[in-house]
Amino acid sequence: MNIYAARSFGEWFDDLQARFINDFITDNRWKYLWNGLGVTLKITAGAVIIGIILGFLVAAIRATHDKTGKLRFLNVLANIYLTVIRGTPVVVQLLITYFVILAPLGVNEIVVAVCAFGINSGAYVAEIVRAGIMSIDNGQFEAGRSLGFNYAQTMWYIILPQAFKNILPALCNEFIVLLKETSVSGYVALQDLTKGGDIIRGRTFDAFLPLIAVAIIYLVIVVILTKLVSILERRLRSSDH
Amino acid sequence: MTTKKNGKKKPAVAEKKNEVTLEKKEAVEKETVTPPSERPEKLKPDIEIEAEGGTMNESLIMVRNLEKHYGELHALDGVSLNIEKGEVVVIIGPSGSGKSTFLRSLNLLEMPTSGEIIFEGVNMLDKHVDINVHRQKMGMVFQHFNLFPHMTIMKNITIAPIKLLKMSKAEAEQKATELLKRVGLADRADSYPSQLSGGQKQRIAIVRALCMQPDVMLFDEPTSALDPEMVGEVLDVMKSLAKEGMTMAVVTHEMGFAKEVADRVVFMADGKILETGTPEEIFSDPKTDKAKQFLASVLS
Repeated sequence: MNIYAARSFGEWFDDLQARFINDFITDNRWKYLWNGLGVTLKITAGAVIIGIILGFLVAAIRATHDKTGKLRFLNVLANIYLTVIRGTPVVVQLLITYFVILAPLGVNEIVVAVCAFGINSGAYVAEIVRAGIMSIDNGQFEAGRSLGFNYAQTMWYIILPQAFKNILPALCNEFIVLLKETSVSGYVALQDLTKGGDIIRGRTFDAFLPLIAVAIIYLVIVVILTKLVSILERRLRSSDH
Repeated sequence: MTTKKNGKKKPAVAEKKNEVTLEKKEAVEKETVTPPSERPEKLKPDIEIEAEGGTMNESLIMVRNLEKHYGELHALDGVSLNIEKGEVVVIIGPSGSGKSTFLRSLNLLEMPTSGEIIFEGVNMLDKHVDINVHRQKMGMVFQHFNLFPHMTIMKNITIAPIKLLKMSKAEAEQKATELLKRVGLADRADSYPSQLSGGQKQRIAIVRALCMQPDVMLFDEPTSALDPEMVGEVLDVMKSLAKEGMTMAVVTHEMGFAKEVADRVVFMADGKILETGTPEEIFSDPKTDKAKQFLASVLS
């Protein structure tokens, strides 16, 4: 017989309230979630910055190679980077970055996670940016060159502004995915949002409320970000000429 | 040069090459310091002309034995042509004849496989030549306009002079406004390209190229992508440009324009120049069968 069905709603509600207090209020356990959220946002923000820099760099190398045939060596490196990063799970990358590469040097865990997720995200950003560059009509490129702009100037003044507008939604989407991917940070002893919820579960032996709370927090952040992206997208389209 | 182009002797070419490199060095030095507004014929020393014993160095562009292979395809097969200062050369021919490839080779948008392109005394195919500097003096107008869609018309026109010629914004905009008035589009300066008709876009594209104060204008089928009723307005701009003495190389299917404006018509087929001559010579008395066939089909 189901225990929930056996009791009246009032009893069930009192029970829930007690568990809520035990999970979040006692010993200020809500702080695990609050601090965890801070860690999650810090890792995401850092990784986004590294991802953008790395992504644009790799995309520039790949697109230059595709268009001009130059930078062959760098292009090979970029291809290896993309293959390895996109071909292995992010958790494994995180573990390798921490235990194999950076932990022996005594580097702070947050820095480790920022590097690992940033390098991971860079690979996806690179392909998004490259697709954006390649989507611009070659005539734009020729027009720039025919005026006397060199390759880099043509990229900077003419191609990238147009490409950026096209890829912005895809980029934002990538960063929303990145935010959720940081939930595996607990593997390297980081107390991010997910780990925070899990710690509460370990203390109170109640899985339901802490984990649901974690899920809701992620969901709220993602919904807000998605909303912002769609507003941005609409604004870009309205200024589209 | 035209008389020489078929039976060219090797030594003559070698000699010429040395001379060109000398001249080039001088030219490059000057170009880096001299703003284009004060860039008249200084670059062509008289001694050179005498040394060659002919009028060769007066040609603005000299093309010799240009070859272009796309894998198996032989797109340009030993094309030689001189374009004189102030001359309007119209290049005609059936599609696939290599005329666009030839025109696009002149500013190296297509990289020729071999040959020489000497523009204002500089061999453009020399590896040490900064091609970007020379492209600034060769305006190009494309079939599909290729305006920058993310910039206003004014920005489209002024970005290159501001960034490359280091013109002040005010100066560039003043010049752009003048040019826009000439093509009758002064009121569209703040519009975006997508708000313009094809004919308007092409006129803007011409203005954009002109604002760099080029020494030659290359037109690659400038009216082929236009609705018929808009062809006239673009051709009118080109005609007035020709009247002012602009050196022009035009690839087009507008035979009327060729007849009226061209100083010289060049007929190309299969990657070769088969005939060159005045419009009368080409249109009323074509020599080769290919030219006869082509003209019969386009003029009928």
